[in-house]
Amino acid sequence: MTLLAQALETKRVVLCVGSGGVGKTTTAAALAGEAARRGRRTAVLTVDPAQRLKDALGLGALGSQARRVPLATVGARGAHLDAFLLDVKRTFDDLVRALASTPEQAERVLQNRLYQNLSGTLAGTAEYMAVETVYRLAEEGDYDLLVVDTPPARHAVDFLDAPRRLLALLDSRAFAILKDPTTILPAAGSRLAHLVLAAVLRALERFTGMGLVREIGEFVGAIEALTGALRDRVRRVAALLHAESTWLLLVAAPEPRLVAETDTLVRALAAIDLRIGGIVVNRTLPRALFGTATPPPAPPTGVSPTLAARLRRSYQDLRTLAAHQEAALVPLVATGGAPVVAEVPLFPGDPASLADLATIGSHLFPGGAGHVVPARGLGR
Amino acid sequence: MPPRLPLASQRLIVITGKGGVGKTTVTAAFAQAAAAARRRVLAVEVGPGRLGTLLGAATVSHEPTRVGPRLAVARLESEAVLGDFVLSALRLRLLARRLLESTTFQVLAAAAPGLPELLVLHRVAGWLEERRLGRPAYDLVLLDAPASGHSLPLLAAPRTLGALARFGPVATLLRNMERMLHDPATTLVCLVTTPEELAVRETLELHQELDVGLGLSVGPPILNAVPRRRFTPTDVAALAALDPDDPHVVAARFHLERRRQAQAQYSTLRRTLGVSPVRLPLLFPPPETSGGIDALATDLARAAGLAA
Repeated sequence: MTLLAQALETKRVVLCVGSGGVGKTTTAAALAGEAARRGRRTAVLTVDPAQRLKDALGLGALGSQARRVPLATVGARGAHLDAFLLDVKRTFDDLVRALASTPEQAERVLQNRLYQNLSGTLAGTAEYMAVETVYRLAEEGDYDLLVVDTPPARHAVDFLDAPRRLLALLDSRAFAILKDPTTILPAAGSRLAHLVLAAVLRALERFTGMGLVREIGEFVGAIEALTGALRDRVRRVAALLHAESTWLLLVAAPEPRLVAETDTLVRALAAIDLRIGGIVVNRTLPRALFGTATPPPAPPTGVSPTLAARLRRSYQDLRTLAAHQEAALVPLVATGGAPVVAEVPLFPGDPASLADLATIGSHLFPGGAGHVVPARGLGR
Repeated sequence: MPPRLPLASQRLIVITGKGGVGKTTVTAAFAQAAAAARRRVLAVEVGPGRLGTLLGAATVSHEPTRVGPRLAVARLESEAVLGDFVLSALRLRLLARRLLESTTFQVLAAAAPGLPELLVLHRVAGWLEERRLGRPAYDLVLLDAPASGHSLPLLAAPRTLGALARFGPVATLLRNMERMLHDPATTLVCLVTTPEELAVRETLELHQELDVGLGLSVGPPILNAVPRRRFTPTDVAALAALDPDDPHVVAARFHLERRRQAQAQYSTLRRTLGVSPVRLPLLFPPPETSGGIDALATDLARAAGLAA
């Protein structure tokens, strides 16, 4: 059994991380489809699928409710796959309602103008809410496996580090300062300190023109009632991300630009004690056809000289690209620090249907679970 | 053929698009084209990227680095810009330092949504106003903006914050920024996309948000990495008789399919937006690894009506 197949059968959460535009969403959907085919009750959580893929997954309408993906239409009767779209703002509102002890307390937070601005933008909260959804599904969703598509690389770390950062924020001096701004002054508590600070804050308000300080105070007051419950929850979410049963899959493509981005990602992950378990390389050109180890073959005989020249050009283009891919792949894998678990060939367009996903699945698991759909694209 | 992306008096070009479509490559090529047309150009990236490397700069910082006779490159990091701003605003160094301690800083940045973005624009406006020897230091600033999801907050910052700040120096700053962004004679937004469904859809959504939603002047989309026309219908008919497993035939079919999909996406863009996209060719090897920037610069110069 391949490492990837093993992960799908033994892990509970598979997090797909990687840069933008490498096919993370598609890979996550294809993996989830394969897991479902193998009999695991599976959910895929996705951030922003292409419209046609969204339609294919039954996520045409907005909202984070589960949609059962009709895998029976591609020959996988009985397989259970649900698809979810992450909806950040609504999740945060739901969380506030769940953690508040009374509906009035919840409303006080929800109505705060600052909360309304912050719930979408406060450092890390958007990402935290995405992780929160993962946690909720893992705890309550009755699934064997969750496959999660994360936001692009630089934000993937924000996403994975969100619980810790939110905790740090709640425990930070910042929150204490906002509640009682005099604490930043050396002689906190003295009358002089209060006077100086009041003057500074007035100046700051005049400067920004935003009753900022007062509103932050109100916000902190409102959310403070929730922090105990929030802290506990955030800790449990962090534990899930670091659990043995959670696996990080790097989705990449053999492009030079990704080496530096992957390096940044891997370092940032290491800083929060997360490691990549395996790498899927998308958009590869088959070495058997375009590899540079063998001399270029002669064009087919019996065609006109102009067509032969054009065929040579097309072939040479892909051979050139293959050489660049080979050069990029070695440092990419070294940087990722994990084995390549599958290579998926370059397709001429975006995968758009369940059949396309099954094709990708057949490349992720060569010789796997009896596909009815023949392979398309460059891989044979 | 008349230029599709006519560049007249504009002094700020904001380049954005989905991640991985070649925004930075296009910014670099555009900067080269404009500099070759004797404009003094500053190319700016937001956050660490490859713009400096593509333009041949050894190092990039928040101060412009000269990389050619009329070409300079700079990098803005929103956190650093915010730090400078807080220091200059509060003047009390001790207080500012304490405010900038990491988590506190996050709260401050988050408490005023859009503030870091606004400060990036503020620096850009500063460069546009900068004068040297009685004339503008830069004729054109090209901003390699963050990917679509993050460029909207950047461009919407003056408006978002404008709702919160109604008086004081920040309110004045906001009005100036908004005037700069919304003056079609000053600012042009260019959306870059590849001929793929997902990227094109995101481009159409962003176009709608920036054009109709924010009222910005948005140029025709730049469709990057379009496979060139290579085979005639006669060629295609002849291919049918050949061994489908021959690597040459596999490559030709792949090219044809990619070209077909690219044409379909070109039509979608043109039909939906009512303008013809600017096409840039798919290059082998990829432009960022060779002299490909020059090829793209030539095409962009033609599209923008820039004479060398």
